[in-house]
Amino acid sequence: MRAVYEELYFAPYRSQIRREYLRERDLLFLSGCSDLLGVPNPVAFYSLELYPEMLEHWHDWHRRMGMPRAPDGGFRCC
Amino acid sequence: MLALDRPLLFFGGKGGVGKTTLAVGRALQSASGGHRTLLVSTDPAHSTADALGTVLGSAPTAIEPSLWAVEIDPGDEADRYIAEVKERIADTVPPRLVAEVERHFDIARLSPGAEEAALFDRFTKFMDQVGTTYDRIVFDTAPLGHTLRLLTLPEQLQAWMRGLIERRRKVGVLQRMWENVRSSGHPVKAEVSDDPVLAALEERRARFIRARNAITDPERAGFVFVVLPEWLALAETERGVATLDRHDIPIAAVIANRVVSAGAEGQFAAERRAEQSEVLQAIDQRLARFVRLCVRQFDGDVRGVDALRRVGAASGTQARRGEQMRSVDWESLPIGGRVM
Repeated sequence: MRAVYEELYFAPYRSQIRREYLRERDLLFLSGCSDLLGVPNPVAFYSLELYPEMLEHWHDWHRRMGMPRAPDGGFRCC
Repeated sequence: MLALDRPLLFFGGKGGVGKTTLAVGRALQSASGGHRTLLVSTDPAHSTADALGTVLGSAPTAIEPSLWAVEIDPGDEADRYIAEVKERIADTVPPRLVAEVERHFDIARLSPGAEEAALFDRFTKFMDQVGTTYDRIVFDTAPLGHTLRLLTLPEQLQAWMRGLIERRRKVGVLQRMWENVRSSGHPVKAEVSDDPVLAALEERRARFIRARNAITDPERAGFVFVVLPEWLALAETERGVATLDRHDIPIAAVIANRVVSAGAEGQFAAERRAEQSEVLQAIDQRLARFVRLCVRQFDGDVRGVDALRRVGAASGTQARRGEQMRSVDWESLPIGGRVM
């Protein structure tokens, strides 16, 4: 019973947080991998450490967008 | 303080004007005064080792007591940089992604701009060593365009880095919030304070800012324009001065190299001297706000430590702002260093 009430309280909060989190990740992806869209990124070489996260994000993103496999032109995650 | 005593000196100018000769000469003179001096060549077409008659690598080599020299090879730097990044993130990459991450880094290594970026990274690391490992660093730079880019990069890069770092930090906070609520109020993990990715980016950005602050501080750094007493060279120098002004990079001195001295005999020497003296007069007028020095034309090639030391002694003399350049005769100057 307690779990149901907890869930009622958390559900809207949770989806809001999730939306905000994904939105910010997309923005980070855009600024960190802008070269994928043809926009030069002068600090690409100085932000290579971000790349593993970007790769995971790319994977999440294409699945979220309804593409089971990675579209061409990006990273080859699957 | 003498203009050439600044801890960071960048010798630059058109190709073939004698940047290397004067930079090495100055470094030798500085070292013989007991200052721990590092001579760094950033010109991809190195000639520092040839001038010294030795072999240099990408790690500082001891030349004399208190003098070390290094030639930065952009290809080696890019390899080293990529290797460092790979090592730094090795623990954070999930095993299934390792192959793809390595592939991407190898592509990044080959991308245009990678070598320049790696060269710049090393350049800022050397600048950080002033005051600790070394007292002074003398940079023997590539022809002007390349060097100006190197000197003006930090201001452009750090702003981009800042944007990226702030965004990444925000994502980190949101990610922790999300992980805390997704399992219905049972906190998954506490605040993560140790974020190696963010730490690496922050370190780099902080270093770029330090480099920028050092380069623009006239107490700590100065550009030394080497110019031949010829009209074309003067025009280029004036343009270079304007560019450096725009980027707030201080100029330590203008050195006219290969000036035919008053003692030289013969008709050829007399004619050259007459021509040069017109240009030198123009330099005196147009670049009056800088310290101006002359180094005379030597009889032969200046090569090897002893010959270079003589040049260093000449270029380190006490010509000050406002002095007439043509009146500064190399032969009669008080010598600032030990002359062999």
